[in-house]
Amino acid sequence: MSDNQASSTPVEPSSVESSNEQTTHFGFKQVEKEQKASLVANVFDSVAAKYDVMNDLMSMGVHRLWKRFTIDCSGVRAGNKVLDIAGGTGDLTAKFSRLVGPTGRVTLADINLSMLQVGRDKLRDRGLVGNIDYVQADAEALPFPDNHFDVVTMAFGLRNVTEKQNALNSIFRVLKPGGRLLVLEFSKPTSEQLSKLYDMYSFHLLPKMGQLVANDAESYQYLAESIRMHPDQETLKGMFEEAGFEQCDYQNLTGGIVALHRGYKF
Amino acid sequence: MPASALFAATLEQSINKVLALDSESESRLAELNGSRLIAFLSPMPFGITLVFSDRVDVLIEHDDFESVKAQLGPKDCCIKTSLDTLPELRETSQLTRLIQQKALYLEGELGVAQQVSGVFQNLDIDVEELLAVRTSDVFAHQSVESIKALHQKVMSMLTDARSVVGNAMVEEKKIAAHKLAVMHFSDEVSALRDSTERLDARLRDLEERFK
Repeated sequence: MSDNQASSTPVEPSSVESSNEQTTHFGFKQVEKEQKASLVANVFDSVAAKYDVMNDLMSMGVHRLWKRFTIDCSGVRAGNKVLDIAGGTGDLTAKFSRLVGPTGRVTLADINLSMLQVGRDKLRDRGLVGNIDYVQADAEALPFPDNHFDVVTMAFGLRNVTEKQNALNSIFRVLKPGGRLLVLEFSKPTSEQLSKLYDMYSFHLLPKMGQLVANDAESYQYLAESIRMHPDQETLKGMFEEAGFEQCDYQNLTGGIVALHRGYKF
Repeated sequence: MPASALFAATLEQSINKVLALDSESESRLAELNGSRLIAFLSPMPFGITLVFSDRVDVLIEHDDFESVKAQLGPKDCCIKTSLDTLPELRETSQLTRLIQQKALYLEGELGVAQQVSGVFQNLDIDVEELLAVRTSDVFAHQSVESIKALHQKVMSMLTDARSVVGNAMVEEKKIAAHKLAVMHFSDEVSALRDSTERLDARLRDLEERFK
């Protein structure tokens, strides 16, 4: 994976996406579509153990506020069925589990078994059992019935999915009419100065922090690159609409470094 | 960064830390398990939802009172009032008056609001014990006793001051001069000053003549 560190300049996502339909981007690198899932899996296998520590360190704890804001916007009520896709180490699931109560159900889904295991152990250690299911699932082909969930969330997971539109279509299928999807994901900073500062931070400081704490600079280099390759706010909103979601909107957080997209199924 | 999320996180941490200081809180919270209290407190720009399980989760409510009211569950209570009115809610006998005065809007299960109030009012935190863990028994005891004595002294001074002000209002107001009498007295003083000045002028004039 070291050769994908050659470039530190963000590439326009559209230029890469359109270059070859059989390939997709993995950071700034072009790879076969079939390869991407396993490459992403390698990244998360590598970082799973230090995932929470690194999240706190990289965002200086602000990721907790972004996630809290997502939960505030979810409108979750007691008895709801919630699907937390790419739920990783279960930050959102922990809170949802208490909010839906014993009559509700939260499904923590992640394609990566290592992340799922870390999440399951963490939640069990906190005494959160009884209304949580753990499912290893691909967001592009969710193994759930149609019209099943009241709320679906995906925090910092969509950019790692090979075919994002397929994932949104799949989520639309499993949501109940009246249900809502919330996607929290890195996005495009709204100010030029912040963007430059953010580039400096993510391409120079982030991999060094990864090396120091998780002994893995490459995974964090991929993180920075994958963020730049992810669709911007308006493009993602368009993808929501294409999947069939209505009343789609987004809210920029921390100057657009992260955006929360929301869409409803009616 | 949403400031509301930071506020909710701080509030949630504080509430749960305070509740954890009283071992009885657990059983009181168990009675509220699954309940929600949604509060819109003007001038705060958003509502706050307290969700009760084995702990308290705080959420920010972005919908308005009317929308929330329409979605209340059987164990939910929603109130709309102002921060100024909040202390008056401790007295349940005041609720009807506040609702009639439109200072309080209450929807859903009233029992939830009363139970939540009970959870906080019945908190019995042994400060001395907590302080002793971090310092020493003697220091903790003396500190707490000093604070108690100071508190009593301040309260006693406040009571005295209140009594003095009360007496002044009730007793001395009766014998105090009426506003019109004071104005009349002021006019008379002014007239006397004028006369004195005239007399002074005349005396000076006479002195000049006899020089």
